[in-house]
Amino acid sequence: MRLLRLSLRSLRREWHLPELRTLALSLLLAVVALGVVATLSTRVERGMLANAAELIGGDAGLGAPQATPAEFAAAAAARGLAVSRDAGFPSVAFAHERSQLLDVIAADAAWPLRGTLEVRDAGGAHAAHAPPPGAVYLDHRALVALGLAVGDRVQVGGRDLRIAAELLREPDGGELVAMAPRALMSLADAEQAGLLGAGSRARHRLLVAGAPEAVRAWRRWLDAAALPQGAQPITPEQTQERMRSAFDRAGAFLRLTALLSALLAGVAIALAAQRYARRKTREVALLRALGTPRRRVLGLLLGTLGALVLPAAALGVALALGLAQGAWLLASQLFTSVPTALPLAPALAAAAIGVAVLFGFALPPLARLGEVPPVAVFRESAARRVRRFDALYLVPALVALALIWSQSDSLRLAGILAAGLAGVAAVAALLAALLLWLARHAAPGVHPALRLGLAALARRRGMSLVQATALSLGLVALLLLAVVAPALLEGWRRELPADTPNWFVLNLQDDQRGDFAQAVARIGGRRLNMLPLAVGKLTAIDGRPVDRLHFQDERARDWADRQLRLSWTGALPPSNQVVAGRWPGAAPAQAEVSVDTSWRDMFGLKIGDSMRFDVGEGQIEARVASVRKVDWSSFQVNFFLLLDPAHAGRLPHTWIASFYLPRGHADALARLSRDYGNLSLVDVDSLLDRVREIVDRVGNAVRWVLGFSLLAGALVLAAALAASAAERRHEAALLRTLGARRGQLRAAAACEFALLGLVAGLTAALGAAGTGMWMGRVVFRIAGFVPPLAPLALAALGAALVVMLLGLAGTRRIVRTPPMRLLREA
Amino acid sequence: MRGPEGRLDILRGVGLAVREGESFAIVGASGSGKTTLLGLLAGLDVPSGGSIRLDGHALETLDEEARADLRRRLVGFVFQSFHLLPALTAEENVMLPLELEGRDDARERAREALQAVGLDARRRHYPAQLSGGEQQRVAIARAFVHGPRLLFADEPTGNLDQRTGHHVADLLFALNHDRRTTLVLVTHDPQLAARCARRIELEEGRVAGAAERAA
Repeated sequence: MRLLRLSLRSLRREWHLPELRTLALSLLLAVVALGVVATLSTRVERGMLANAAELIGGDAGLGAPQATPAEFAAAAAARGLAVSRDAGFPSVAFAHERSQLLDVIAADAAWPLRGTLEVRDAGGAHAAHAPPPGAVYLDHRALVALGLAVGDRVQVGGRDLRIAAELLREPDGGELVAMAPRALMSLADAEQAGLLGAGSRARHRLLVAGAPEAVRAWRRWLDAAALPQGAQPITPEQTQERMRSAFDRAGAFLRLTALLSALLAGVAIALAAQRYARRKTREVALLRALGTPRRRVLGLLLGTLGALVLPAAALGVALALGLAQGAWLLASQLFTSVPTALPLAPALAAAAIGVAVLFGFALPPLARLGEVPPVAVFRESAARRVRRFDALYLVPALVALALIWSQSDSLRLAGILAAGLAGVAAVAALLAALLLWLARHAAPGVHPALRLGLAALARRRGMSLVQATALSLGLVALLLLAVVAPALLEGWRRELPADTPNWFVLNLQDDQRGDFAQAVARIGGRRLNMLPLAVGKLTAIDGRPVDRLHFQDERARDWADRQLRLSWTGALPPSNQVVAGRWPGAAPAQAEVSVDTSWRDMFGLKIGDSMRFDVGEGQIEARVASVRKVDWSSFQVNFFLLLDPAHAGRLPHTWIASFYLPRGHADALARLSRDYGNLSLVDVDSLLDRVREIVDRVGNAVRWVLGFSLLAGALVLAAALAASAAERRHEAALLRTLGARRGQLRAAAACEFALLGLVAGLTAALGAAGTGMWMGRVVFRIAGFVPPLAPLALAALGAALVVMLLGLAGTRRIVRTPPMRLLREA
Repeated sequence: MRGPEGRLDILRGVGLAVREGESFAIVGASGSGKTTLLGLLAGLDVPSGGSIRLDGHALETLDEEARADLRRRLVGFVFQSFHLLPALTAEENVMLPLELEGRDDARERAREALQAVGLDARRRHYPAQLSGGEQQRVAIARAFVHGPRLLFADEPTGNLDQRTGHHVADLLFALNHDRRTTLVLVTHDPQLAARCARRIELEEGRVAGAAERAA
C-alpha cells in the first residue's frame, strides 16, 4: 500500500518528463492499433461465421450448375425436411433510359428456410419470403442506380416486373461483399424468361431445413447418392471455410500494419526507457547510498510504471472500441447480412499485448537500474557496467517475436514475417545510411545552416538511422495503399484497348446468331465475337478414367469433378500464344485439343496425350496438339480448352458472344434484352466500376488504420528527440555562446529534420516504388508498369516538410536555451 | 534573479573596467558570483540593474540577438569542461565559430589555429581520442580562430593536472601577449590569478579586494 502511494507520488512528480509521456503515448498507440484491428477482424469474422445456416438460407443443400433432379428434394421431403430452391445469376435490369447489372436471386415461395429476408414496402420494414411471380425486390443500390422507387416497374431478363418492396437484408449464401446491387425475383419468372436454361451462368441450389437428425440423415443419403454433373453439397462448414479464407487474406494486411505500429511503438518505448533510466541513475545511486534496498528501488520503479500503464491501457481500450465502432459504421454497408455486436475481448487482449510490449522493451535499461551501486553518487561512471553481451536485451527481441507470432497465428509464418520485417528494416537502414553518407559528403561549400544540420545528424548517427528507418517503415505502408494500389488498378485498366469488349452475352442459341449479330450492329455494337460453348466433363486421360488417376495438384482433382466449359475455333484467338506443339487449325485428321499452360501443369499433360470429354449425350476423344499461354486479363472470351471445329462442332452447345458498346445505350440494350429474353447480358464496365468502388470504400475505411504506423514512426521521432534533448540543449547553449543567432539554430534544426524526413521519405518512396514495380510486372503482369513517381516524390517532400515541422516544434524550447546554462553546467 | 523566496541579488555594487589587451582575473570562493560576473561581462546574460559596456556597446540595452552578434565578432570562450562537440573532429570543432559567420575559409583558418596550439597532427581526431590537455588546447584554438578581441576563460585549468594546466595557461597568456587579446579569467588557482596583470576578489557578490601585478 505504501509502495503504491509512493509510486503514485513519484508518477505525479515525474509526469512532466517527456520520456514518461512518450512511454504512455507509445503504449496507448500500440493498444489502439492492435485493438482496433483485432476488434474489427473479430467482429466481421464472428458475424460471418456465427450462423452459417442463416447465411446459406437453410441447414444444408445441394448446389449445381443446373436444376437438381426431383429425387433430391423428394428424399428430403421423405425425411420431414422443408425444401426450397433458388438460383443466382447476373443479369442486367433496365428502366427508363438506364441499365444496371444486378446479382439476381430467383427463389421459390418457401425461400428462405433459415435466416431473415427483410424488406420495406408501404407497410414499413418486415420479414418476408421471396416475391410472387410478376414482382421483384430491389436493394437500395439498385433502386438508386436505376432511379426507381417501390411500386415502379423494371425489366429483368426481358420480363416486366413490379418492384414490390425494397430489399433490406437477405441470406446471401455467404458472399462477403456484394459485387453488384441485389434483386430477388420469383423462380417461376426466371424459368419462364429462359434465364436458367443450359449454358446460362446460373448456380442452382436446393436447400433443406428441419430437425438436426433428419438433416444429418439427408446429408448421409446425399453422400451415398450419385450427384448430377458439377453438383456439390452445401454445408455450413464449407461456407465457413470459404469465408474464412477470403477474410484471412483481407485481414492479413491490416494485422501486419497493426503489428508494425506496435513494433515501432516498442522502439519508441525502448528509447524513452533508456533516457528515463539514465535520468534516474543519480537518484537511484542516492537512494542506494542512503540505504534503500535494491528490491525496494526496483519495486518503486515498477510501481511508477504500473501507475502509468493502467490508465494508458484503459484509455487505449476505450479508444480502440470507439474507433472500431466508427470504422464498422463506415464500412458495414459493404458487408451484407452480417449480424453485429461490438466484441470487447480483442481490445482487452490488445491491452495485455501492449503492456507486454511496454514492459518487454522497457525492461533492459530499467532492470539495470537495480544494479546501480551506492558508490555511483561519487563517480557516475561506476553506474555503467560494461558488458560484452547483455542477455536482458534478448527480452525485447523475444517480445517482438511473440508479438509477431500472436498476430500471424503460425510459427512458420511468424518466422517468415520476422525475417521479412528485419529484412525490410535492414534495407531501410542501409538506404538511410547511404543517403545520410551522401548528404554528409556533399556538404563542403553548402550553406552553414545546412552544414550544422548535417553535423547534427552525423553527431547522432545511430539515433538518426533509427528515426529514419522507423519513419520510412511507417510511411511505406501508407504509400503502398494510397499511391501504388490505385495506380496498379488504373494501369491494369489502361492496358485494355479502348474498344475492349464490355458486354458479354451468354446462352445464345444457334438459330439466333445471325439476327443477334445484326441487332448488335444496329445499336452500334462493335467487335462482336462469338464462340461456341459446350458444357462437359473430363472423363479420361490417355484412356485412363480420371476418377482412378491420382493428381499431385489438388486443383486437378477439383477440375476433374467439375463441369468444364469447352469451345472450338479454327483460328488462334487474340491474347493466346502457342508455347508448345502446333495450333490444330480448322480441320485436322483426328480430334485435337489445345490446353492452357495452367492445365498442362496441373494435369502433367504432354503433347500427344489424349483427353476424353463427355458433353451431354456426346463424347469426344482429342489429342493434345498444343499448349497456349493465355492472357486472362485481356477481357476477351478465353478458354482453358479449345477443340478443333471439325470434330467438336457436332457436340451440343450454345454460343457466348462479346462486343463493345459505348456507354449510354441502355434503351437499345433494353430492347435487345426484351427481344432475346433467354440471353444473360453481363455488363463488364459496371463490374469494373464496382470493383473500383469496393477498393475505394474499403481503402477509405481502413486507410486511417495505416495512419497508426505513421504515428508510431512519429512517436519514435519524438522519443529520439526527448532522448537527445539534454545533448541538444548543451549544443544550443554552446552555439549561442559562440554567437549563433536563434535564427541560425532554427535554420540548422530545420535543415536537420527536413533532411531526416527527406531520407525517410525517399527510402519509403523507393521501397513503395520497388514493391509497386514488382507487383505490377510480376503479379499483375502489366508490361512496363512504372508506379507514379511524381506522387511518391511529392510524398517524400511532404515527409520532409512534416518531419521538419515536427522537429521544429519539438526543439522550439531548445533553441531558446540561455547561453549562461553552459557556464552553470561547468 | 528571482528565487522561491523572492528577488535575489547575486552581485551588488560591482564596478570595474578591463582595458584592451589586459589580462584580468576574477577570484573568489564558490557562490561568490564569479561565474555570474563572467557571464554578464561576456553578454551571456544582462544585469537587473546597472550598466555593462563591451567595446562601447551598453549590453543591457541590446537584445539577445544583438548580443549574440557582438559575441560572435568580439569574444572567444574557454571553459573548464572544454565543451567540445563529441561527434565533430578537432578541426570541425574549431571551424564552428567561422561557420557561424558563414566564412568560406573556415577549414584553412581552423588548421592554422590548430597548428598554433601544436595539434595540427591531431586535427582529424575526435574529442574522446584526445587527452584533457589536448582537448583544452582545441578549445583554445576554437576560442581565438576568428580573431576575437576578448577571451573569457572560466576555470580553464580546473580539470587539468598541474603540468598540463601550466602549459594551457602559457598558451592563454601567449595569446594575450602576442595578439593583444584581452584575457578575462575566472579561477580558484592563486598562481594562475597571479599571472594576470590585475585581479579582483569577490565575496558574497561584492568586490572584496583588488590587486595589480608588480610590473
